[in-house]
Amino acid sequence: MATHFELPANLTAEALFASLNDKYETHLVSNQFFLKTYYDSFDWRLYKADLTCEFNRSKQSSSFTLINRKTNELVASTILFDVPSFSRQFNPGKVRQTLEPILEMRALLPICTLEGETSLINIVNKDGKIVLNLLIDEFELLNNRLTLLPVKGYNKVAEQIVEMVTKELGLSAVDRPVLLDALKLQGRKPKSYSSKLTFQLTPEMPTDVACKSIFTHLLSAIKINEQGTIADIDSEFLHDFRVAVRRTRALLSQASHVLPEEALTRYKDFFSWLGQITGETRDLDVYLLNFEQYKKKLPAVIRQSINPLQHFLLAKQKKSQKQLAKKLNSSKYMTTLAEWQKYLQAIPHENPPETETQSTIKHFADQRIWKTYKQIIKKGGGIDKHSPPEALHNLRKTCKKLRYLMEFFAGLYPERRIATLIKYLKNLQEVLGSYQDYAVQQQQLQQFSEEMQRINTPNKTFLAMGVLIQDFEVRKGKARDQFSSEFSIFNKSETHSSFHTLFGAGK
Amino acid sequence: MKILALYRIKGGVGKTSSAVNLAYNAALGGYRTLVWDLDPQGASTYYFRIKPKIKGGSKDLMAGKRDLDGLIKGTDFANLDLIPADFSFRNLDLLLDDKKHPTQQLKKRLSPLAKDYDFVFLDCPPSISLLSEAVFKAADVLLSPVIPTTLSLRTLAQLNAFINDNEFKNTRLIPFFSMVDRRKTLHKAIMGEVLADYPDMLKTAVPYASEIERMGLERKPLPAYKDKSRAADAYSELWQEILTQMKT
Ligand SMILES: Nc1ncnc2c1ncn2[C@@H]1O[C@H](COP(=O)(O)OP(=O)(O)OP(=O)(O)O)[C@@H](O)[C@H]1O
Ligand SMILES: [Mg+2]
Repeated sequence: MATHFELPANLTAEALFASLNDKYETHLVSNQFFLKTYYDSFDWRLYKADLTCEFNRSKQSSSFTLINRKTNELVASTILFDVPSFSRQFNPGKVRQTLEPILEMRALLPICTLEGETSLINIVNKDGKIVLNLLIDEFELLNNRLTLLPVKGYNKVAEQIVEMVTKELGLSAVDRPVLLDALKLQGRKPKSYSSKLTFQLTPEMPTDVACKSIFTHLLSAIKINEQGTIADIDSEFLHDFRVAVRRTRALLSQASHVLPEEALTRYKDFFSWLGQITGETRDLDVYLLNFEQYKKKLPAVIRQSINPLQHFLLAKQKKSQKQLAKKLNSSKYMTTLAEWQKYLQAIPHENPPETETQSTIKHFADQRIWKTYKQIIKKGGGIDKHSPPEALHNLRKTCKKLRYLMEFFAGLYPERRIATLIKYLKNLQEVLGSYQDYAVQQQQLQQFSEEMQRINTPNKTFLAMGVLIQDFEVRKGKARDQFSSEFSIFNKSETHSSFHTLFGAGK
Repeated sequence: MKILALYRIKGGVGKTSSAVNLAYNAALGGYRTLVWDLDPQGASTYYFRIKPKIKGGSKDLMAGKRDLDGLIKGTDFANLDLIPADFSFRNLDLLLDDKKHPTQQLKKRLSPLAKDYDFVFLDCPPSISLLSEAVFKAADVLLSPVIPTTLSLRTLAQLNAFINDNEFKNTRLIPFFSMVDRRKTLHKAIMGEVLADYPDMLKTAVPYASEIERMGLERKPLPAYKDKSRAADAYSELWQEILTQMKT
């Protein structure tokens, strides 16, 4: 049985109530103004998890409610007067339990607000027993809605009323949340942002056109995340911003014959600068995000001693973020980015392609992926127990490059096969990544402790930091040991022939 | 799911009033709560304004033709449902007697509801019968209202012995004072004596109060029409004490 209905535009809530009152004994329990604000993360995590999140305020109450948007079932609800930014800031309970794994580090943002009037109505039988509860919601700019809240064991009345309102009064069943209508009113729709690559390439596209369309996509990702980064809403804005910057750099480094020399140097410098100015804040973000985990690694007796480090990092992150925000508001940033945009929009191109086949994006992708793949095999094969850390670091960068290339051009290859190869690469990257991360974090921790010497820090904090540094050392060693076995998996002959068939056949 | 039975051989001691008001307090605390009215007179059903009738009567129920779930009615209060009484319940003993394991029957019928409810209150008729034994078998707790008179103390001792002597060891007897008139010296004297003898006796007593009698006119749990009263407070405190007792 449907329980959610939309009133026709010409039927007022009052008229509906009057019609019900003619046939049934009704009690108006309450009638009040409400303010309903929908919340989600910037990347629509709740919506993607089939949840809508409402913050409802009225004179009598203020509540925060999670609803399954597919079944309309109430998932969790709590009384709340201010919505915190992060799920970890909610009081322990079902709401927080539901939000935490979905939102992780992402902040809750208001999506849109609806104003209206809501009436709760009971229908009672001869004995004065409530047999059905009804909600009528009147909105300013949307069609009004009727919601039935049936009482167990009294379905007959509910069915009669459904029959009456649909057949006689012209109401229609709806299953989409009001949120969708409200967004539509503003010309928006959910899931409008995702950090995934979503452009379309075809094999025959000229290389420069295809590259420009990838650059354009990445530029829009940079711009979308820029304001959230400046405002420091959550750490993911900067993360996605940096990913887009790195991807741009990776493609620029491959695009020597797509862009004229002068422009190439200029933009390579610019995006490298962007990488630099965002690096410190991101490193601190990562520290703070992992802080609870680090803490858990410490023996219980000294666990609390590490807290001054957290305060130190928080303060340092704030400062670093402020400086970053300043740079993102600078004219250097704004004008160069605007020029880059103009450059991408300009019609190509002075120098015509060399030959027919070489000019297609498929050919370009084959060539670059195959070449980078071979570099990895060569570099990785040369690494043994005695190689310096730089060798692994260098290999890690090449792997990242290959990963970006494969992701940019994934659409040009059979989906399943390229996905499998990306997965193999990912496993290798993970070992290299943790080796590098532990090394960097260890080094930074050393540096932090030097800085903290100067600010009156208790000795036991240094002791706890020493334990962490030691722990990083152990983990770093483990990752290093794992490398050779992970690399030999990647270097299997079947994987090699898959890479060859997919990308190297032209050679 | 915990099953609490309001039980006492004697009639008119406050079983129904307590079942209804304690269940109301449980539901108010957010627990999913069910009242099952086992008394063919249907007093708790009446208090919730629900018709004392179940589809197919006790016959279909005991024959396993109907699930309990299909008989449940939502009350006017959040988290609070009821299985109505039916006049045919007066024959429940005969129907039970026909069964292979008569005393297992209630427990068996209730078990599918375990995931839906936190607490089930059984409002029992005043008697000692096969149904009572089935109640003892099903209930985790027997809540027994005691009016402070010497006679009720004797019967309480008997009930205690019956529960402990037989195969009902999993049931815990928790008595509490009901219809207490503090002005009566006898009540006070007996209460003092009993509290020493029965450590399980609850400290909270339900006072004799005219607003409780009014439930029959209001047809609502007491706190739904007289939230601020000594009697309403007593039920709320009694429920908290029962919750605490059950945890130990
Ligand atoms: N604490 C009290 N103060 C005053 N009157 C009460 C109190 N408790 C119950 N009563 C009244 O006493 C009568 C019997 O109470 P109740 O129905 O709760 O007892 P019972 O044990 O369920 O009875 P029965 O054995 O008939 O099922 C009712 O009229 C009720 O309103
Ligand atoms: Mg009774």
